[in-house]
Amino acid sequence: MRLTALLARAAALLILLACAFAMRPGAAVAQTALQPLLQEHRAELAKPSRTTIGPVISALLASDHPGMTGFLRKWEAREVYLRPEDGLFFYAEEAGDMLRLIDIDSGAAVAEVGSREVDQIRPNAGVRREVAAALVPYELNAPDPARRAEALDAIARSAEASQIAPLAASIEGETDPALKTRKERLLTLLVAQFGETKSERLDAIAGLGGDTSIEARSVLNQLTATRDGVATALPDDANIARVLEVGTDLTEAEAHDRLVAAGLAPPRQTAADLRDVLAQHIVDGHVGGVPLHQLDTTAARARAYEALEQAGTVPPRAAPDEVAQAVAAHVFYAEYLQPDPQITQAAEDALAATTRALGLYQTADLVLDGLSLASIFFLAAIGLAITFGVMGVINMAHGEFIMMGAYTGYVVQLFIPDYTVSLLIALPMAFAVTFGAGVAMERLVIRHLYKRPLETLLATFGISIALQQLAKNIFGTQARPLTAPDWLGGAITLNDIVGISTIRVAIFVLALIFLALLLYILRRTRLGLEVRAVTQNPGMAASMGIDPDRINMLTFGLGSGIAGIAGVAIGLYAQVTSEMGANYIVQSFMTVVVGGVGNVWGTLAGASLIGFLQKGIEWFNPSNTLAAQTWMVLFVILFIQFRPKGIVALKGRAAGD
Amino acid sequence: MSKPDIAPRRSFLAENPSVMWFLGLLGLFTLGVTVLAEGFGLALLSTSMVKILGMTLCLCLIAVAMDVVWGYCGILSLGHFAFFGLGGYAIGMWLMYARTQGIVVESLANAPIPPTQEEINDAIATQIFGVVGSNELPLIWAFADSLFMQLLFVVLVPGLLALIFGWLAFRSRVTGVYLSILTQAMTLALSLYLFQNDSGLRGNNGLSGLQNIPGLLHLPQSTIALWFFWASAAALGLGYLFFAWLVSGKFGSVIRGIRDNEARVRFLGYHVESYKLVIFTLTAVISGLAGALYYPQAGIINPAEIAPIASIYLAVWVAIGGRGRLYGAVIGAAVVSLASSWFTGGGAPDIDLGFYTINWTDWWLVLLGLGFVAVTLFFPRGIGGLFDMLVRKP
Repeated sequence: MRLTALLARAAALLILLACAFAMRPGAAVAQTALQPLLQEHRAELAKPSRTTIGPVISALLASDHPGMTGFLRKWEAREVYLRPEDGLFFYAEEAGDMLRLIDIDSGAAVAEVGSREVDQIRPNAGVRREVAAALVPYELNAPDPARRAEALDAIARSAEASQIAPLAASIEGETDPALKTRKERLLTLLVAQFGETKSERLDAIAGLGGDTSIEARSVLNQLTATRDGVATALPDDANIARVLEVGTDLTEAEAHDRLVAAGLAPPRQTAADLRDVLAQHIVDGHVGGVPLHQLDTTAARARAYEALEQAGTVPPRAAPDEVAQAVAAHVFYAEYLQPDPQITQAAEDALAATTRALGLYQTADLVLDGLSLASIFFLAAIGLAITFGVMGVINMAHGEFIMMGAYTGYVVQLFIPDYTVSLLIALPMAFAVTFGAGVAMERLVIRHLYKRPLETLLATFGISIALQQLAKNIFGTQARPLTAPDWLGGAITLNDIVGISTIRVAIFVLALIFLALLLYILRRTRLGLEVRAVTQNPGMAASMGIDPDRINMLTFGLGSGIAGIAGVAIGLYAQVTSEMGANYIVQSFMTVVVGGVGNVWGTLAGASLIGFLQKGIEWFNPSNTLAAQTWMVLFVILFIQFRPKGIVALKGRAAGD
Repeated sequence: MSKPDIAPRRSFLAENPSVMWFLGLLGLFTLGVTVLAEGFGLALLSTSMVKILGMTLCLCLIAVAMDVVWGYCGILSLGHFAFFGLGGYAIGMWLMYARTQGIVVESLANAPIPPTQEEINDAIATQIFGVVGSNELPLIWAFADSLFMQLLFVVLVPGLLALIFGWLAFRSRVTGVYLSILTQAMTLALSLYLFQNDSGLRGNNGLSGLQNIPGLLHLPQSTIALWFFWASAAALGLGYLFFAWLVSGKFGSVIRGIRDNEARVRFLGYHVESYKLVIFTLTAVISGLAGALYYPQAGIINPAEIAPIASIYLAVWVAIGGRGRLYGAVIGAAVVSLASSWFTGGGAPDIDLGFYTINWTDWWLVLLGLGFVAVTLFFPRGIGGLFDMLVRKP
């Protein structure tokens, strides 16, 4: 406590020096009351204006009175009242309809008055900004870390040269390591912009290189900001960023526009202007001697204008060759606003380093995005990898199983308000519901169609549209929320660029769990052994005592159940609608086919390829996800041409042909 | 003409009485609609009804094409509606351009100074593409002012796409389910592409106002609807005749062989890929023509029309009607699409069960979906299979 008080004093002293106001012996006035000090500036405090308040605040702060910052803060927050009869300032608190006035120095309640009897002092926004700025140095050393952080925010918002000294002074005494690094960075930013000596600034600018924070980038961008210039010859005194070549850097029209803006050339005339001017000069069906009906070509219109120009009725216009001449006679360049070439060069170097770092982070971010999209595709397709990949059943209703899972999650949330508990219940519930639906579908429909795979497609498509419409009839057409618990709601951010929402991490983890689980079931359990046996050779499997019907039923149920769980996961970050399944079905089929049918690893490879590819293409053209999807589908079509069996192709007898 | 050439041709219709029956019924139907329609006859059928019937005939035509490629050749294409849509877009470009041109020229005619050609072009482009924030005609509209060129594109664009796609797919021997998924991916890619605003075809706005035929604006819609109905009927009749002839000869035997056992046909020395490619491309072209007749009656085309689900419905029509018989495809397409518009258009009466009222606009798709399942399970030959019970073949 003692130390911070001392530091506060030191900072205050620095301010005093900076403001160059007459210094008073602080210890002496600290004992006196606040009220008399305030009374010296009663008029300005009672009716503050932005233009006059600055010196007053400086003077008040210069008194170094311990209660002064507190008073100014309350004054700024409109909590100070003036009693007109004696001109004294009071704090006040509400007491019923009355105001209880509190003495500024003693803190004791003085009187209760009606709100009409005192004047509330209302500094306007401009005044409040002044006060806040003046208080920043004090806030930087405030005992409360939150207030120190706020002060830093205030500096970052409106940086000024005068803040360098108090900020630098406050760093040493900073106890919070996070705040200390922030202060140091902010100091670098301030010095880079307003530092007194050039070497100091150059050092600070070099220190900003590779810093990808938005603040650092905006400082560097400010330092390297340019304005467009045009002249007959390159000026010697300007800090030229680059010379623009007409034709490559800017078009002739743009160049001419700049000449016009600089007043160096007459404006060009657009076709519409020309037409309007001509229309104003129609005389007896002729314009400049050219009959009206001939004016339907640009050449005839130009002729008419020439005639008018020669007659002196219209001002001369810049003809195309004149435009070219005017442009050729001038040099176009971009000029740094910052006059010192060394500083701009240092800033450009730092910016280049930052851009490199930025590229690196963006790549990392892209990889994360791709990974998360791939895990979504994987989740959506993994159930299909079993029903289609292992059993060869084309289940067009797979997407509707995803939807069913998501709606199960929604219904569970209706009954259990705690999101964490409901999620834990919804996952097995969704599995149970879709497992049941899958088994029922296999028993009732698909069993009869094993010999006719293309017709399975039709029958399951019928089920798909029936299920979709049923969901629409039950839940309505609007999207239903499936809310993630709070611990899944945030995002994990590494810095300003690299970040990923927790829900996507959870989906990624879920995808990994599924992968492991499925591999375990298929390779290490009795069920998996029987599934593989039945899919490779049902007749032989049956003669070994395996019941193919039962295995088919269980396999199909498993694939459907996994689709249900995927539905809960997808519903958590996307909207739950009756059409959500249809959005995934084509992509899921492509994932399975690209990856290679009949192999879980293949599905993983397919999902990764498609996910990364889509994000990669999106990166080239971020505004257009549709284009990315189009190119992705085209790529998949081409890919299947050259590798019809997918990435992970089964070989030998397992391939089935 | 020598005798052996004539002999099989005479026997073509004789051997296929169903073709005669079909053409006769189609003729009667056309005559009936004409007499009843608003345009000429008794005005018992509204113009919109005539349009729906004409559109249904176009759907029947693409269903016939689908039946040839799937029912006869065994290629379950889930992308034929892409060709249908492309045909519609090709003719729609001319319809929209020519009509906009008319409007622009008319509005500029009152200007004090006659417009230049560039001004007219700019005005047309702004009129058409203002909705997607552009004022330039994309390159693909270069021939939009020429009806002849766009009609050529109706055939060429779907044909070339099918040729390239089919060549790639059949060459690498993609068959069965994989081919289905591949064709589905194709139509998905196309519709996603068209959904973009910078695709040059007005993004998800699509092309609209296609029911106004430039040059025929003085005629009432009732007349134009009837003309398009006749054209659709003629196209269906000719298309049916063409495909019936195509699948009846040796060529038909080969493609049926491919359907039943592709490897065996290949071992017999036939170049299976070429046969498939010819069938795939031919049916795509016919689909494009059907689309070019359909969309002027529908009045609007947008990318949603060629979403993958449309092509799946096409397959479902053929399956319900009965595969491997051309009239089956016609029946399937007509029955399902007319029933759809009857049920969802509020034509069907609600059923009051006491505790719940079945509203058909909500429940039709459920019924339809379960109907597919039932047909697939219990009537693999579809509605057309019922005729087999009537006509006993020796």
